[in-house]
Amino acid sequence: MREIIVELTTAFLGSLGFALLFNTRGKHLWPASLGGLLSWGVYLLMGLVTQSDPLRYLVAAAALTVYAELLARRLRTPATVFLVAGTIPLIPGGSLYRTMECALRGDHAGFSELGINTLLLAGAIAGGILLMMPLFHVNRNNMREP
Amino acid sequence: MEPDRKLAEEFLYAALNIGERMLQCGAEVNRVEDSLRRILKAHGAQRADVFTITSSIVVTIYAPSFGVVTQTRRVLGNRFDLTRLHMLNQLSRDLCAHPQSIARIDARLEEIDRAPAYPFWAQMCIYALISGSFSIFFGGTWRDGLAAAAIGVLLKLVDALQTRARLNPFFASFSSSLIGGLLAVIAVRLTLADHADLISIGSVMLLIPGIALTNAIRDMFSGDLISGLLRFADAMLIALTVAFGFVLAGRLL
Repeated sequence: MREIIVELTTAFLGSLGFALLFNTRGKHLWPASLGGLLSWGVYLLMGLVTQSDPLRYLVAAAALTVYAELLARRLRTPATVFLVAGTIPLIPGGSLYRTMECALRGDHAGFSELGINTLLLAGAIAGGILLMMPLFHVNRNNMREP
Repeated sequence: MEPDRKLAEEFLYAALNIGERMLQCGAEVNRVEDSLRRILKAHGAQRADVFTITSSIVVTIYAPSFGVVTQTRRVLGNRFDLTRLHMLNQLSRDLCAHPQSIARIDARLEEIDRAPAYPFWAQMCIYALISGSFSIFFGGTWRDGLAAAAIGVLLKLVDALQTRARLNPFFASFSSSLIGGLLAVIAVRLTLADHADLISIGSVMLLIPGIALTNAIRDMFSGDLISGLLRFADAMLIALTVAFGFVLAGRLL
């Protein structure tokens, strides 16, 4: 229990940090940081259902996207403002780092295993976002014709 | 009003000023393309072909009154700035709803360029917040978190020096991670903190292009293959240099 509280708090603080780093201000700041709490919360909750990390990431990213798009609509701003900070706890930065560390140590087995894992996680986040976005941008592609 | 050729050229230039800024502030490629297309069509272009990659924008517009006009823009440097992105988005919405003069657009852009940013001391605290939070998030003790926060402050100073010296971005991330790694090991040796690797992970989150990697994959799946591949290659190289810095720091001490 204590672990969960620590994780959620630091996920929130980390997202807040990135939101500030990317110059989020005023009424966007708190919703953006709370996105991190939401995405990590969904990730933890999904742990009750499945142990597959990519799946948990996918669902967390999808939930976050719905949150970001709804807020974007309400506050009339690009959804990116809330997506970037909110995905921060999910972003496989640590995993990407360990992959490269294996490459440099000459640990090829570790490199391919961690590398595939990193790509899967990044792909799962991207997939979760892309699954939900079309629901909010139904006519986007029609505008693609010049 | 039917725009003539001179007006079309000037207007396209102003529109590219908007697109360039959007891209620099962290807008997705297809948002930039979409916004420019809408703006140009709202201002009298019959056809607008916009092609954007992370470092360049090419636009060709056509209407019978001015013929074909093409301009390209090389886009250098990008740093997420979500406040400015919000303002640019607002501007492009306004432009689509109510066409405006070039002078008015320039005035709005000037206002956006003057948008506030957090002062340097606040940015040092932000680096500390991120670094400290992630050190604990990944399982560090509170002492690790404090050490990571202190290293974060120093990394902001290093970053400021690197920006001033206009260092090559790969060398910049390598040297930052080398310094971050050395400081983490030293902190543990001095028994100020407990786990060098968990302190480092805090600084890693500041330096590693995790967001860029995720966005790269997103771009690719949205059909912007070139931008996605460019971002992907860039993210991989930066990640490699970051890891190289930390691994080297571990070997040196």
